[in-house]
Amino acid sequence: MRANFIFSEVWIGLRRNLTMTIAVIVTVAIAMALLGVGLMINAQVTRMKHYWASRVEISVFLCKKDDAFPVCKTSGGMDDTQKKEIENTIKAMPQVQSVAFETSAQAFEIFKATYADNPLFVSAVRAEDMPESFRVKLKNPEEYSGAVGTLKTLKGVSNVINHQEILDRFFGLLERLRWAALVVAGILVVSAILLIGNTVRLSAYNRRRETGIMRLVGASNLYIQLPFVMEGVIAGLLGGVVAAVLLIVSKVFLFESVQIYLAANSQLEWNDVAWVITLTMIVGVVICVLASFVTLRRYLKV
Amino acid sequence: MIHFDNVTKVYANQNRPALDHVSVDVDKGEFVFLVGPSGSGKSTFLRLVLKEERPNSGAIHVAGKELSRLSNFKVPHLRRRIGCVFQDFRLLPNKNVYENVAFALEVIGKPRRFIRKVVPEVIELVGLEGKAHRMPDELSGGEQQRVAMARAFVNRPMILLADEPTGNIDPATSIGIMKVLDRINRTGTTVVMATHDAAIVDSMRKRVVELEDGKIVRDQSRGVYGQAY
Repeated sequence: MRANFIFSEVWIGLRRNLTMTIAVIVTVAIAMALLGVGLMINAQVTRMKHYWASRVEISVFLCKKDDAFPVCKTSGGMDDTQKKEIENTIKAMPQVQSVAFETSAQAFEIFKATYADNPLFVSAVRAEDMPESFRVKLKNPEEYSGAVGTLKTLKGVSNVINHQEILDRFFGLLERLRWAALVVAGILVVSAILLIGNTVRLSAYNRRRETGIMRLVGASNLYIQLPFVMEGVIAGLLGGVVAAVLLIVSKVFLFESVQIYLAANSQLEWNDVAWVITLTMIVGVVICVLASFVTLRRYLKV
Repeated sequence: MIHFDNVTKVYANQNRPALDHVSVDVDKGEFVFLVGPSGSGKSTFLRLVLKEERPNSGAIHVAGKELSRLSNFKVPHLRRRIGCVFQDFRLLPNKNVYENVAFALEVIGKPRRFIRKVVPEVIELVGLEGKAHRMPDELSGGEQQRVAMARAFVNRPMILLADEPTGNIDPATSIGIMKVLDRINRTGTTVVMATHDAAIVDSMRKRVVELEDGKIVRDQSRGVYGQAY
């Protein structure tokens, strides 16, 4: 096998079809970048789910004196026996793993910490304004609907906020984004395959003289086909490199800014990104090789 | 070297066979003219030897191998033992004489040292010494055909097939081409040449196989083109 012979043939082929080659590279790059984004969203969701699984809880806010919530109109604040009663009811529910009580003072501390950079807002609120609440952890946070329904009907409960519900909405959004990315990636993969097919066909037509002579003097099929397949591989690899750059950019500007809002300690790591890039590169090259090989069978009689 | 046993070839969408129950033997080192009008089956004969086409019936042996038993994978190896020359030369216009000849060796993976040694030898054999760096469009038709012969012979094939090699060349130059073919034949290479050129066939006094409508109508050693002796 004469490597430099093959490579000079490949180089000639790529140069002759420069515009088609660029089209292939761009299409493969965008397809692979979208596929990569889909995979990265997947990894992110997995990490976030893992992170939140031990942390989600249901906040059961209790009515306080002169509460604005309509359900609290009749009760003028809760006394200790009423609170104890609610706590026992919650504890008795089969889905519940643990219950903790958060006093107004504790809630105010958390509030102050959260809005530390907005002292005006903090100064307008007093500790008594903060509602008391029970923090309920479920055995299985994903099955909350029954528990939340029951908790809402308890007397003296002003409001029930379920983290899982908020998270689910967020995950749902990510899921839709992921599917959108994958669908568009799929369409682009199809157009990449068609483009590669056309490029190979043009290339085979341009070089029919050479391949005819190669056939005649007994060059092996591998020798005749390899330059065409290599053209596909190189276009696929270049597309993969561009896709890798796009993925790194999206990790820095997209995923890391999302994490500021919700994902705190569940950062998408560079490990994940490296894995996704490797995978998309392999997929890109394999698609290119298969597409060139299949079209070669049709347009290059051996 | 080439053995056709009752070979029939009918192309798809045609009723009349291109070759009709043809049996012929060509021995090692022979020089055979294949003559006959256009469409008589000369080119089909050559294509069958190369396994570019398959016969509908009958057996073909080339260089001791039965072609129908030869897997597609091994066809390139068969073709390495057969050189081919055509009426239209089939040179690569963007390569010079040396590169055109070397191309045949490069694509079968011969080492560069070997190529540097044998290509100049063959260029000299066909009488093109000093013209190795000319491009095909700087050469006359006869010289281009010599390049094609050098390329066909550079791998020292056992068989050389020539399909009307003098078809595009004036008679004076054709004599030179025939001298080269004769020189190649004298190295022990079997030569099969399809031609219309009566003058050449008559002057060479070699074996003549005449085809008509796919049938062999004459097989004569030291023959001439026409029917009469």
